[in-house]
Amino acid sequence: MTFRDLVTVSLGNLWRMKLRSFLTISGVVIAIAAFVSMLSFGAGNQKFITEQYTRLGLFTTMQVSERRASDGDTTEPAVLDNETLVLLSEIPGVNLAFPLDAFEVTVAFNDTVVTREAQGLPAVALSTGMFSQLEAGTAISSDSARQVMVDRDFLRGLGIDSVESAIGRTMRVSVSQARVDSGLAYLAQGVGDRVREEFSRLDFDSLFDDERYGRRLVYTGINEALKRFTTGFLQHRALIEDTLEICGVYHVGHGGMRRGRDLIIPTHSAIRFSTGGFTGDITDFYAALSSGSLFPEEGEISYKTYPQITLDLDPTVPFGPIKDSVEALGYRAFSFAEEFEEIQQAFIYFNMALAMVGLIALVTASLGIVNTMLMSIIERRREIGVLKSLGADESSIRWLFLAESGVIGALGSASGILFGWTIARIASAIAQAVMESKGLDPVDIFALPLWLVAIAFSFGLAVSLIAGYYPAARAARVDPMEALRAE
Amino acid sequence: MTSDITLRTIDICRFYRRGPQTVKAVDGVDIEVKKGEFAAIVGSSGSGKSTLLALLAGLDTPTSGVLEVDGISLQSLSRKELAAYRANRVGVVFQSFNLIPHYTALRNVEMGLYFNQTPYRERRRIAGDMLDRLGLGDRIDHRPADLSGGEQQRVALARALAKQPDILFADEPTGNLDEENSAQVASLFDELSGRGLTIVLVTHDMALARKHAHRLVRLSYGRVVTETGEVQS
Repeated sequence: MTFRDLVTVSLGNLWRMKLRSFLTISGVVIAIAAFVSMLSFGAGNQKFITEQYTRLGLFTTMQVSERRASDGDTTEPAVLDNETLVLLSEIPGVNLAFPLDAFEVTVAFNDTVVTREAQGLPAVALSTGMFSQLEAGTAISSDSARQVMVDRDFLRGLGIDSVESAIGRTMRVSVSQARVDSGLAYLAQGVGDRVREEFSRLDFDSLFDDERYGRRLVYTGINEALKRFTTGFLQHRALIEDTLEICGVYHVGHGGMRRGRDLIIPTHSAIRFSTGGFTGDITDFYAALSSGSLFPEEGEISYKTYPQITLDLDPTVPFGPIKDSVEALGYRAFSFAEEFEEIQQAFIYFNMALAMVGLIALVTASLGIVNTMLMSIIERRREIGVLKSLGADESSIRWLFLAESGVIGALGSASGILFGWTIARIASAIAQAVMESKGLDPVDIFALPLWLVAIAFSFGLAVSLIAGYYPAARAARVDPMEALRAE
Repeated sequence: MTSDITLRTIDICRFYRRGPQTVKAVDGVDIEVKKGEFAAIVGSSGSGKSTLLALLAGLDTPTSGVLEVDGISLQSLSRKELAAYRANRVGVVFQSFNLIPHYTALRNVEMGLYFNQTPYRERRRIAGDMLDRLGLGDRIDHRPADLSGGEQQRVALARALAKQPDILFADEPTGNLDEENSAQVASLFDELSGRGLTIVLVTHDMALARKHAHRLVRLSYGRVVTETGEVQS
């Protein structure tokens, strides 16, 4: 018998027993639909993450930060400063190294004044994958441009829904800096009054006879001086202001995919905002104290340290040796490509767990196939005898029944894939509606890649053939004389 | 195998176990059928004639003895080769027709060619021609249930002959037919025999056997009791 004969005969037999065939095929359809819809959820998430990584250029991005002190390690962790930037950019395979220079700014736009985090970036860094995807406008043209790039959601918070309409408009960006010289000036201003007051109350006899009196007098003087310095330092801040034109709108993203701050400003403006003084954060003060830069000049960056440096890598160079070079310099390197491999690994387990549910349903459906085929053999016992009398050998009979279970599997799998995909589309539409209602970007979390279609079809077919093998082998063993005598 | 066939059995036996008893369906039969001969095996019900036909047609295997076709023992053939023997060299017609009820007459006849590698188009042409020759040209799309007993037997005969077998085995081919249809089928056998086809007919109808067969083998309790050559002049 040819393949065509096998398929024709099988289809004919299934058509003859419509209800039974329909019910058996339905079992396979439901199982494959469950398999496809579940795995398409895994595949959709995997696809989304891969696309995000590719879109943001994360496969060619490495983050460098200070090495965490470990037990027994007494060496001082190497700081990330401008020298580090030079060292890192000289590593083979590193296209660009740029620091994370983030600081708090006050933004005045129309009548709204808000406080947000801004980030200074060199113009060249804006051409990397992390920042090159804009929703409107263009990137900052140069490091000295008086431009700003803003986050789409930040704009929405200011009441601007059309991102295009923001391009060309200006916003006032300012920073209030606490400065040591402000503190000293305030201290100096109060010293005269304080000295006069202390002299008027001074008990000279006690000063020479009572040691404690002298000490208390000194302490009080120091305390008073520190109080005046702190007041001057924190309250008499310098206001640095700039009016910047919105040149581009980008989307920062959410959670782990967040790639920047709400505002990106050119390097020159950023240096103005982030040098010459301190924020309210006392740790900045301690850092300056320890690095000997307590009296910074505005625009002086040599003393600056950064929490993180981003490396843009050459995609043709393996990230392993680059990471080793960074770590050899005493820093901690985090590679997104490495993280992606771990995510991929997690997805394999996730998909396997999802597939198991579908497979359990498929095994249950296969019992239906076994039952149908055994019933068919009992009913067609005489027919098997006739076929054997006409010259069918055992293999022909076996193939005839295997073909029938194969057709059940093929029809069930094909319909199951369509049904499963329909379920996935409906689930995706619901999920996207929920995301939109929560103000999130609607993301398609289901995908039907070709490999999933191929695996689902192959599984359906293979399980059906395995299920049909025992009945087919039984049919092949039917004795023709006994079968022909049977009524 | 050559086309100059001779069917020969030497002390052939076929025993069955039925509970504690052994049924000797065929018990030491020696017969010989020459090429182009029309042999009839006759006997009463239970005499073992259908079992003997099944053995000769390769549908069953003997318990002992030798069964040869053209000098080749059928017992020496593998199951696949035995199936090929049935597919290529043997046509079988049964008393109960054994047509597949859900297939049309044409498809039933075509089934006779499924297992000897005849291409699809050729199969349909041969099946159509064969039904035409047996007077069923206008019945090709009818299912067995829509045909009379005689027509069904002619379809069964067409199925057996479609592969142009060397030997035609017929097991009570007129057993389920009325007199008129029996006569029609019998005359077909005469015609086929006249064309040189080797026929082995099993029947309990002595008159039919005497009238049409060249040679009569009479069985009783699985044994040959009489063998008469050249019955028909």
